Amino acid sequence: MSNKNPLLKKSAGSSSKQNIVIILAAIALFAIFYLINNNFASSGNVLNMTKSFVPYAILALGVTFVIATGGIDLSIGTVCIGSAVLAGAICRTGVSAEDGTLWLTIPIILVSGLVFGLLNGVLVAKCKLAPFIATLGTMLVSRGVTAVISEAIRETSSAVKYPPTGWFQKVFTNLNGFPIGLVWVLVLTIICAVVMYKTKVGRYILAIGSNEEAARLSGINVDKYKITAYAISGLFAGMAALFYVAANPSLNIASGNGMELDAVASVYIGGTSTTGGSASIIGTILGSMILVIIRNGLNLALSSGSVVSATNITYAVTGVIVVGAVMLDVLKKKSAAKVKIDSIPAKKEESKS
Amino acid sequence: MGETILKMQGIQKYFSGVHALKSVNFDLRAGEVHALMGENGAGKSTLIKVLCGIHKRDGGTVEYFGENVEFDNISKSQAAGISVIHQELNMMNHLTVAQNMFIGREFKKNGFIDDKAMEREAQKMFDKMGVKIDPSVKLGDLTVGKQQMVEITKAVSRDCKLLVLDEPTAALTLPEVEELFKIMRDMKAKGIGMIYISHRMDEINRISDRVTVMRDGEYVGTVNTAEVTKDDIVKMMVGRVIMGEQKAASNCPCDAPILLDVQHLNAGKEVKDVSFTLRKGEILGFAGLMGAGRTEVARALYGADHRQSGDIYLNGKKVKIKTPEQAVKHGICYLSEDRKRFGLMLDKSVTDNSAIASVDDYVTAGIINDGKMRDESEKANTKLRTKTPSMEQLLKNLSGGNQQKVIIARWLMKNSDIFIFDEPTRGIDVGAKSEIYHLMEELVSQGKSIIMISSELPEVLRMSDRIIVMCEGRKTGELDISEATQENIMQLATMREEN
Repeated sequence: MSNKNPLLKKSAGSSSKQNIVIILAAIALFAIFYLINNNFASSGNVLNMTKSFVPYAILALGVTFVIATGGIDLSIGTVCIGSAVLAGAICRTGVSAEDGTLWLTIPIILVSGLVFGLLNGVLVAKCKLAPFIATLGTMLVSRGVTAVISEAIRETSSAVKYPPTGWFQKVFTNLNGFPIGLVWVLVLTIICAVVMYKTKVGRYILAIGSNEEAARLSGINVDKYKITAYAISGLFAGMAALFYVAANPSLNIASGNGMELDAVASVYIGGTSTTGGSASIIGTILGSMILVIIRNGLNLALSSGSVVSATNITYAVTGVIVVGAVMLDVLKKKSAAKVKIDSIPAKKEESKS
Repeated sequence: MGETILKMQGIQKYFSGVHALKSVNFDLRAGEVHALMGENGAGKSTLIKVLCGIHKRDGGTVEYFGENVEFDNISKSQAAGISVIHQELNMMNHLTVAQNMFIGREFKKNGFIDDKAMEREAQKMFDKMGVKIDPSVKLGDLTVGKQQMVEITKAVSRDCKLLVLDEPTAALTLPEVEELFKIMRDMKAKGIGMIYISHRMDEINRISDRVTVMRDGEYVGTVNTAEVTKDDIVKMMVGRVIMGEQKAASNCPCDAPILLDVQHLNAGKEVKDVSFTLRKGEILGFAGLMGAGRTEVARALYGADHRQSGDIYLNGKKVKIKTPEQAVKHGICYLSEDRKRFGLMLDKSVTDNSAIASVDDYVTAGIINDGKMRDESEKANTKLRTKTPSMEQLLKNLSGGNQQKVIIARWLMKNSDIFIFDEPTRGIDVGAKSEIYHLMEELVSQGKSIIMISSELPEVLRMSDRIIVMCEGRKTGELDISEATQENIMQLATMREEN
């Protein structure tokens, strides 16, 4: 059976080394942060970490599909927050669960995410814009448009309120003390892995990332599958918003600033190729996990009367990790190329003799 | 004619097992135009690359002004006075003419670049050459012909003693060609030796003093242009048949049903009103020189490039093919000449590469059955005798011939009816070549039809049942295999509109 499933086996195999490194690093970091501040491992803090981990992980899962095509999606952060702000305004949610129509926010958030994702897909696939430019545009547009609509409806620019406790939390974050968000991440991870490795959509997305022209000439409708990748990314940005508002019930358009960069960083750390063609769903999850540990750990370590800000140190550390992870990828490719050159003189000898 | 400035003897070059240059001789005198001729793939460009240091030679000697030399890279050969004007110009279209000419050796004043001084200097040089070009305009705004003049002027300004012109007239208009020839004659008078690569016989006759012909990486001979006719040169170029005999008669019965009918195809500047038919079980060869528009015909037919007009009929029914996806649905497949760019997923496995066009066949309830896909890929590749350690092997680790087989497997698995092979044996060694030929013969015996584009005449003559010859985007002839010879194909392939 093991060799009956080459693609799953191979994609797991090629990045499994990197996965082990990440897991070991995560354990080491966990231990270090625990030694610095024993509160780090408290059940309260762990629940806290899962709360912030879940939306990032879901954003990262979605954008993995775009990165697998060789693209990038910078709009997911603002699409996520913007969709939540928009839905909160339309449904007139408030601190009390009885305010407005809370359930209606779910379809609105998901549709909003999907629409922005489709927009990205059409701009990239049909209008042939560079993914960086197209999604940068959507990032600004999604932020501006959702905020303006929200302000127009609510006639104020104050924070949008979702109920801080209630069924929303029970479904998405904290089911009587159980971090239910992790179950959702697990389910979504399995779905993503199946779609990426076992369906036509994933296979074609990876083919496009590997060689777009070859994919097109093989009869693949490249535009359609590129749009699909961006649509998945947008939809997941919407899903991430549900978990974000459940954990952060008071939010405005500037909340979660830079989320997209953390999500993209997680994908790169996880071993998905920056040029597309190969993707690691498990790696993406592990990548988001390590970023959350670092963010939360530094926060606790520096909270006791430090003059420097943990947030800013986190930025620097994240930057170093991302560059390091991608550099590893580059070095790996370089050494692979070297082996190839070495093998040529050997053949030369053969034909000479 | 002056002293001998360049003497290349017994040059050998291997590329991962392919013997690209087999003891090639070439010499050049000061003030001489020496034409270097041969079919595509004869080794002309390789020889030039060995000369200017892009490739390292594996044997032989190069004497330059009486000294044994081996240039490590282009800048070393440039410093020694060797300049190459490539067919495709490598210049920066967004910089001005003067900035391009002095790139890497800019004039400076107070630490800043002095554009005005560079423009004055460039103007002086243009005046000396008798060329009318404004050095302050952006290079991209000039015609290709003028851009070439800029390159030549730049070369001369670098005190060039040996100038290589690689198909310089391919993109030029007639008056531009005249201007180029005038400049070449001026340079001759100055004692500059020139190596001139071109396929255009009439130009060779007009401008060159001697002609050296190469074939399949071998040196055929050197003759004085004045003493030979065009036919003599063509004979030298095509020479003996290397890969088996010419097919005596078509294997395809003339009453075989017409499968594909292409009418008045027009696409871009490269395809002008091309019509042809393809019968069931036939191999239709497309012959012509590089740039004749054969690949463009295939790509337009396949929906890979946009076409302005033209109708396609399959089994007598008009079909709409605007994308490769539609072409594949109609049972047409295309195997590109540039496999790396247009065919292969190098970092994916043999299975992935073989099955990518037929993934649909292995999907049940949305889930791909990888086991079945792998087994079918293995079956197809075993039939083709693809040499690979395993089906999981990444494609970049396979040889060119085996990579080509994997792509053939891709279309066998898709069960295509019409195979368009674009240079099916390019970059493939001799042994694998004949295997590819057998595969093609097997395909037609199973009732498949093949369109084969090839720049190698012996290949065209061995494989085709019927041959279409193209020149500069037009179909200049159609020959049954029984009446085709290398000579009459060459005649048709060089039948230019201006002649």
